Amino acid sequence: MRLEFCWFCSSKIYPGHGIQFVRNDAKIFRFCRSKCHKNFKMKRNPRKVKWTKAYRRLHGKDMTKERKRNRPERYDRNVMENTLKAIKKIDKIRHDRAADHIAQRWKPKAAKERREARKELEQSISLIKAPLAIQSQEPAITVPKIKVKAPKQQTVEDQLMEE
Amino acid sequence: MAQYDFKKITVVPTGNDLIDIVLSRTQRQTPTVIHKGNAISRVRQFYMRKVKFTETNFTDKLSKTIEDFPRVEDIHPFYGDLLHVLYNKDHYKLALGQLNTARNLIKRIREDYVKLLKYGDSLYRCKSLKRAALGRMCTVTKRIGPSLAYLEHVRQHMARLPSINTGAPTILICGCPNVGKSSFLNKITRADVEVQPYAFTTKSLFVGHTDYKYLRYQVIDTPGLLDRPLEDRNIIEMCSVTALVNLHAAILFFLDLSGSCGYSISQQAALFHSIKMMFRNNPVLIVCNKTDLQTLEGLSGEDLKLVMEMKSAALKTIPGQGGEAANDQDVLLTMSTITDEGVMAVKNAACQRLLDQRSERKMKSKKMPTVLNRFHVAMPKPRDQKERPVCIPQAVLEARAEEAAHEERKTEKDIENENGGAGVYSASLRKHYILADDDWKLDILPEFLDGHNVYDFIDPDILQRVEELEREETAVEEDGGDFEMEDEDFTAEAEKDLQEIRKRKKLLIQKHRIKKSTAESRPTVPRKFDKDRKFTTERMGRQLSSLGIDPSRAIERARSRSVSRKGRKRERSVGGDGEDVMEIDGGLDNKKKLRLRSRSMSVLSQRPLGEVVPGEGFKDSAQKMKAVTMARNATKKRNKDARRGEADRVIPTLRPKHLFSGKRSIGKTDRR
Repeated sequence: MRLEFCWFCSSKIYPGHGIQFVRNDAKIFRFCRSKCHKNFKMKRNPRKVKWTKAYRRLHGKDMTKERKRNRPERYDRNVMENTLKAIKKIDKIRHDRAADHIAQRWKPKAAKERREARKELEQSISLIKAPLAIQSQEPAITVPKIKVKAPKQQTVEDQLMEE
Repeated sequence: MAQYDFKKITVVPTGNDLIDIVLSRTQRQTPTVIHKGNAISRVRQFYMRKVKFTETNFTDKLSKTIEDFPRVEDIHPFYGDLLHVLYNKDHYKLALGQLNTARNLIKRIREDYVKLLKYGDSLYRCKSLKRAALGRMCTVTKRIGPSLAYLEHVRQHMARLPSINTGAPTILICGCPNVGKSSFLNKITRADVEVQPYAFTTKSLFVGHTDYKYLRYQVIDTPGLLDRPLEDRNIIEMCSVTALVNLHAAILFFLDLSGSCGYSISQQAALFHSIKMMFRNNPVLIVCNKTDLQTLEGLSGEDLKLVMEMKSAALKTIPGQGGEAANDQDVLLTMSTITDEGVMAVKNAACQRLLDQRSERKMKSKKMPTVLNRFHVAMPKPRDQKERPVCIPQAVLEARAEEAAHEERKTEKDIENENGGAGVYSASLRKHYILADDDWKLDILPEFLDGHNVYDFIDPDILQRVEELEREETAVEEDGGDFEMEDEDFTAEAEKDLQEIRKRKKLLIQKHRIKKSTAESRPTVPRKFDKDRKFTTERMGRQLSSLGIDPSRAIERARSRSVSRKGRKRERSVGGDGEDVMEIDGGLDNKKKLRLRSRSMSVLSQRPLGEVVPGEGFKDSAQKMKAVTMARNATKKRNKDARRGEADRVIPTLRPKHLFSGKRSIGKTDRR
């Protein structure tokens, strides 16, 4: 017995679960549950369906899988022992690496948020504090002064002259 | 001799069926439409065709049947006799004869009527003639109905007769009932004949096939024979007699030594002697069956004498030896079908006798010398007198010796059988594994661990790789965050400000959304008609102070600009804010402004609330105020209760029938 991977969502299929479909060209499709099977029957491409591992790997959201080795070896009890011990360690390392990958993905977000907050603070400070108040309080944050050309004041004499 | 295949005889239809078949054929296959107006020759032709067609069909079908059925004289006498025994030759011939007569009659009818039709003068006359012709043919057929039924019966039975090839080497088994003939047949061939303790279990001939020396032999089992004169025999016995007489075969006469068949040895011997003239030139073997119950040696003297008599009679049939007891084994054999003792020996002996006979015959035939002449075994001429014995290499001799010693080697199959057979024992496939250490042969191999296939990870240098991986991991950790930290986080004050900003923004958005959603129902009133009193200086003052600015100056200015003040001196504004248009044409006084604006203002807001307007009916301001207050109080409760007023929209019928019932003329009534 061996653990297979679902063709659609790439999850592990334990013995006794799922459906296996053999096509006329002898290609075998294994599905872990009817959700994947039904999606396959609808001819959906797993690379386009958001929740599948294929999509996630393709779009860099998860770490890509390592290839497995397939060379048959003669049985050796020591090798088997070492393998069993190693599997645990490898599992842990893999898990850590995958977690790292995802953490890396999330890191830039914090910096971005901070930048945006800073900008917002700069731009919208006028909603809560008037420029004059700011000037008096914090000379550090300066609001740029806007110069507007004032219309010329017509004196009384000028008006009388117009009439 | 024509080859007859009894299974290939066509089905014989019954009389009525035959009529139906032929008449419906005529109707379908000949033209059906003819009119009175057609030319008479055409009419005649039409009806003549029908008559001829019908006659042809009848003749064809009857001829086919007559030809298919075998002629008793023409076939092998065995079959001829068998047919006679089973179906009575005379009856059979009669039936076929009747068919023939019918055929001729029909032919005659057709000739007659065609001649008459040639001179038919009207459609009606031709039609009647055709009707008469067809009718007569049908009557003839109806009369032979019983013969047809009988022939069909015969045909069905004939098809089920065992196919005995009269030319092939045959072994015939005969004897008293219940001696073990059918069991013997079951033993040596694949035939599965019923074997039962009562007599006459076998009621007809059964055929099996067996092989000997690359030749196929037929073995025929016959029903048991009783010692009776020929005339008294019944049909079943006659079958076996026919076979005995007509077939050229090795005859195995079965003898039951124990007498458990119900007949003593003397009775069986008597039977033998009565039928021995049927044997003619066929090789005879006497087979003593049921030796498990009674052996030949254990027989009493008389019985033994009888057996020996039979043997001597049988010996006479051996060719070329004329009655001398050459080889006992060839003539008298013992066996037991239950214990399988001697069964094969009997079969081989019988087959051998037949073979010998055949070869003898062939030798005696004229063709033999010509064949013999073709054989020539060449012997090499000796070159010198040197002896050249057989030379076998030593290795071969040793191998042979070893093989002989190893004959007793236990095979896997033997082990399997010892341990309970195929379903119980499962062979250990691991026994012959080639491993570095033999202890490992019986190890249990895990297939999964923690959700991984172990086989995917097996690698002789896996530990190495794991070590490398771990080193990598630690290296990455020590490297630490290669990710530079940007500028520091905000101060607490900045954080607070940020939150304030966000809250303010949210409020703005909310207000805007409300404004947008009520835009349709909300009247668009200019700012100066401020119903909710949003644009008050208090409010402005509050907002400005929350921003951190001292509002007093702004409030003063706003108040000074406000239009509702009466008798206010126009103040000339010194300094920067000269945007007010009204200031430019300084001549307008308040009243004019009021009138200018009064068109767009509602009447109510033109005057102050308590002002007494002449004509309204109030005596003074206090009274008016009281009236105003009373009016307000009166409507307050109603408003609070949210009661419907005159101005509120009324829906006279909440659920009009035409909307809530009835089917639609097109479309579905999913929702109402």
